[in-house]
Amino acid sequence: MTLRQKLLLTFSLTVVGIVAAVAWTISLRVRRVFDELHHEQTSALVSQFQREFDQSAADTSAALDRTASSDALQRIAFELANGGDTAQYLNTAAGLAREYQLDDLELVAHDGSIISSAQWPARFGYKEPVILSAGKPAFLKEENLPDGSSEIGIFAVRAVEKSNPPIYLVGGRNLNANTLRDFPVSAGTRVFLYRNLSAGFSLGNFTGASQTSGSPQPYQQLVDQARTTGQNAEAVVYPTPHREDSVNATAIPLKGANGNVLAVLVVANSRRGMVEVQNHIRSIAYGAAGLGILFAIAASLWIAARVSRPIEQLARAAGEVAAGNWDTSVEVSGRDELGVLAGSFNHMTGQLVEQRDRLVQSERVAAWRELARRLAHELKNPLFPLQITVENMVRARALPQQEFDEVFNESTATLRAEIDNLKVIIGRFSDFSKMPKPQMEPMDARDAIRRVASLYEPALKEKHIELRTTVDSGQLPISADAELLHRALSNLVLNAMDAMPDGGTLVIAAARAGDAARLSVSDSGAGLTPEECSRLFTPYYTTRQHGTGLGLAIVQSVIADHHGTIAAESGENGGARFVIELPLAAEGQSA
Amino acid sequence: MLRQAAISGVLLLLALGASARTRPHYGGTLRIEVHGDAWAPDGLARRLVLDGLTDLSDTGAAEPALAVQWSQTNHDQRWDFRLRPWVRFQDDTPFNAEAVVASFTTMCANSASPDATNAAQETQCPWSAVYAAGPLEIVFTTATPSPDFPELLAQTRFAISKKASSGVLEGTGPFQVSGFANGALTLTAYADCWHGRPFLDSVEIVQHRSQRDQWLDLSVGRADIVEVPPELLRQAREQHMNVLVSGPVDLLALTIPAQGVFQDTAMRQSAALAVDRAALYNVIFQKQGEITASLLPQKVSGYAFLFATDRDLNRARAMRGGAFPTPLRMGAEPGGATMRLAGERLALNLHEAGFNARMVAPGKPTAMDLQLIHLGETAPRAALDEMLAAFGLNATVNGTGAQALWQAESSALKSNTVVPLLWLPRAWAIGERVRDIRLSPDGEPLLAEASLEGAK
Repeated sequence: MTLRQKLLLTFSLTVVGIVAAVAWTISLRVRRVFDELHHEQTSALVSQFQREFDQSAADTSAALDRTASSDALQRIAFELANGGDTAQYLNTAAGLAREYQLDDLELVAHDGSIISSAQWPARFGYKEPVILSAGKPAFLKEENLPDGSSEIGIFAVRAVEKSNPPIYLVGGRNLNANTLRDFPVSAGTRVFLYRNLSAGFSLGNFTGASQTSGSPQPYQQLVDQARTTGQNAEAVVYPTPHREDSVNATAIPLKGANGNVLAVLVVANSRRGMVEVQNHIRSIAYGAAGLGILFAIAASLWIAARVSRPIEQLARAAGEVAAGNWDTSVEVSGRDELGVLAGSFNHMTGQLVEQRDRLVQSERVAAWRELARRLAHELKNPLFPLQITVENMVRARALPQQEFDEVFNESTATLRAEIDNLKVIIGRFSDFSKMPKPQMEPMDARDAIRRVASLYEPALKEKHIELRTTVDSGQLPISADAELLHRALSNLVLNAMDAMPDGGTLVIAAARAGDAARLSVSDSGAGLTPEECSRLFTPYYTTRQHGTGLGLAIVQSVIADHHGTIAAESGENGGARFVIELPLAAEGQSA
Repeated sequence: MLRQAAISGVLLLLALGASARTRPHYGGTLRIEVHGDAWAPDGLARRLVLDGLTDLSDTGAAEPALAVQWSQTNHDQRWDFRLRPWVRFQDDTPFNAEAVVASFTTMCANSASPDATNAAQETQCPWSAVYAAGPLEIVFTTATPSPDFPELLAQTRFAISKKASSGVLEGTGPFQVSGFANGALTLTAYADCWHGRPFLDSVEIVQHRSQRDQWLDLSVGRADIVEVPPELLRQAREQHMNVLVSGPVDLLALTIPAQGVFQDTAMRQSAALAVDRAALYNVIFQKQGEITASLLPQKVSGYAFLFATDRDLNRARAMRGGAFPTPLRMGAEPGGATMRLAGERLALNLHEAGFNARMVAPGKPTAMDLQLIHLGETAPRAALDEMLAAFGLNATVNGTGAQALWQAESSALKSNTVVPLLWLPRAWAIGERVRDIRLSPDGEPLLAEASLEGAK
């Protein structure tokens, strides 16, 4: 990934992250605001419900008080107190309930037996234990009805005054859809009532203020939680799959005198406003994020023009320098850090070129000096016998002819030999200067090994040197000049033979080493010192008495021309070991 | 002397005046309001328009009506009736054996038809054949001995009728149908009635009138005779209404068909033991009628007290063997608030015994029903036959004595498919201008003998 791409990605992620964080924060804040609003509305509704409940309780109590103090009931109480027949009042409660607008009303004798019941007339004679709550505040109560159903109502119990024994009135008003309709709820708020009349959740017991209040099913879990725990329960409820229709719902258990949950009031505040605001925020966030990404692209392009492009130029220039092109320079576009860096880079490459030139110059001088020294050394050796021979011949002129002739013949022979020696030396130098360019052809590196082995095997036998050849069974395809490679390997074998004048073991091997073919020549001679290993391939460096020091230099030159490497090292069991690694050719280029 | 003669003359005139006020006057329209259908098989209008071959005396014995004499042969399986001569239908067609046979044939055909109405189906013909043996003689044959056959024919459902060309039923009774408008059926006096013209010129019967409206109309003079249900009888008396009350003529009973849960006799017996008749009698029906566990009133049979009426909840629970969660539907026939209230009370009773009984709206299938069955007969044997037929009970009555009847009834009730609860009277509130009104033995007002004060 390029720096520009990294910059673009970083900028984009930063912008998107910031936008997302801001949007999330705002959305969260909006949600909290709406939650607080919901809580406030719920609290207000609960307070309102409590007031309505208290008011309804007060109305019920007042209605019962009026009923109890009515002339009709006073007369009934008097007659019953004086032995009157309760049967004649079977339908009295129904009439009184209608008159005083009560949903439920029962006349109960002092012993708790029902005299008359408006809601279940057939229950006369059965006991009504709730008269023990006479005079207490109104309370919630479940009232069973003859059809098997039940109602939840606000009930109160009053004793009819001035009757001895007393008779009681148990009356109440039901909590139902009508009760909910009296609730002053704001738009977007709905109130439901679940009458806890059965062990399990029953859809029929869930009622709203209107028939179009929707399905109660989504509220089941919330209602169940409230009615089983007896505590308020809150949740987000989704009446439809649409998120806009979701509501913040609070279920408030309503308990009877004995603490049982008789009903659950559900206050549901619409989340439509919040969801719409959140959607709006999300839309803005998407827009801002899009713009941010565009801005990030533009910024990254601008910054690339200002920052990454010089850096890229520097990177490219550094690559070229690494590749050996030290003449590379970059454009200095400013005075900032990148400009200083570019200037420094240019200065550095300039210094490198200058130092390289100096080094080349000095190496060239050194080479010439070495060449001169070597030439002087090489030439001095034959020249000294030549000088001695010539001087002998000059002195021999004074000798008798016969002796002079003997000296002359010996001297001319010596001169001829030394001159031949000089020719050889000059020929070697000439060969080194005329290294041919290799003619690359596909070949198997193992063939080069086998060729060298077969060539020198008889000579090695004469010198009592054991030859061991180890080659891989698989092909080692390389691209090489077979003749030059043979000369290089021959040089190494000859060096090894020189290193083992008293015989020994020569190991030549060819093996695959990763992407290269590894050719090695090992001897069991005296071996090499680390200094010798490091200097062996320097031209004109030799450890032998009469070597020119060009053999291994030529070998290294040949291997280098084949894009390979050569290294000298001490063998594991003494001796020296030369390792050549040549790159394996591709499959299509195999021999 | 003269003074004494003058005083005597004044007293004589006063006596004649008093005598004139008590003597029935012809004329006037009597308005009667009922809650039900006046043309029901035992409806009021049918009684006024149609006559039967026989009639029942106050003792319940058959007495001549359209038949003047009868006799039986073949061990009460053949009955020969001689018809009253010189009787004519209200459309002036002659009344003879042919018309009677036609009437009975139509009646039985209607009752046997699958399309017959409920009322027609209730008219089960107790004979196997009827035919004319002469212009004024008809013969009935029955499959089984029917010693109370003449009493049976006195029931209103066996009254003789013929359909006029206008589609209106014509009879030989004291009134004939003259119109029907706004829910009111108008009957006018039939002057040529064989037992004489009624005092009233006409009778206006308002059907399907609510109890509240009936009493209101009576109080303001818009009605002369209205119904008083048993549960309101006490209230009517407290309001000083002029009330005529019959003897016990309606049996309130719980019928429990032997099917479903109640296929087990023990279950039915448990339900029978669980019912609290006293609560029904004392409270719902305001101590009217009599508590019973018999198909016949004590006054008719004389042995009704032998059937135990006490509630035995513990035994009911023991026989029930634990609570029964399956809801049991209970119906009430006829409907109405009081019947429903009684049904709900019985449901509470049964609930205490472990039955989950609930009252349901009319028309729904039920496991048990609260029924109110009217008793037309007053002779013990005929009355028992009528009730057995009404409840579909099978029992062989070997004789006419009380013991034979008791044994037959005991056998019939042993299955507990019918649980008699209360015998209730019928009562009517009479307006101030109505004179000489009395009730038939089965509790219906005899309007043919009634007159209106101030009528001219």
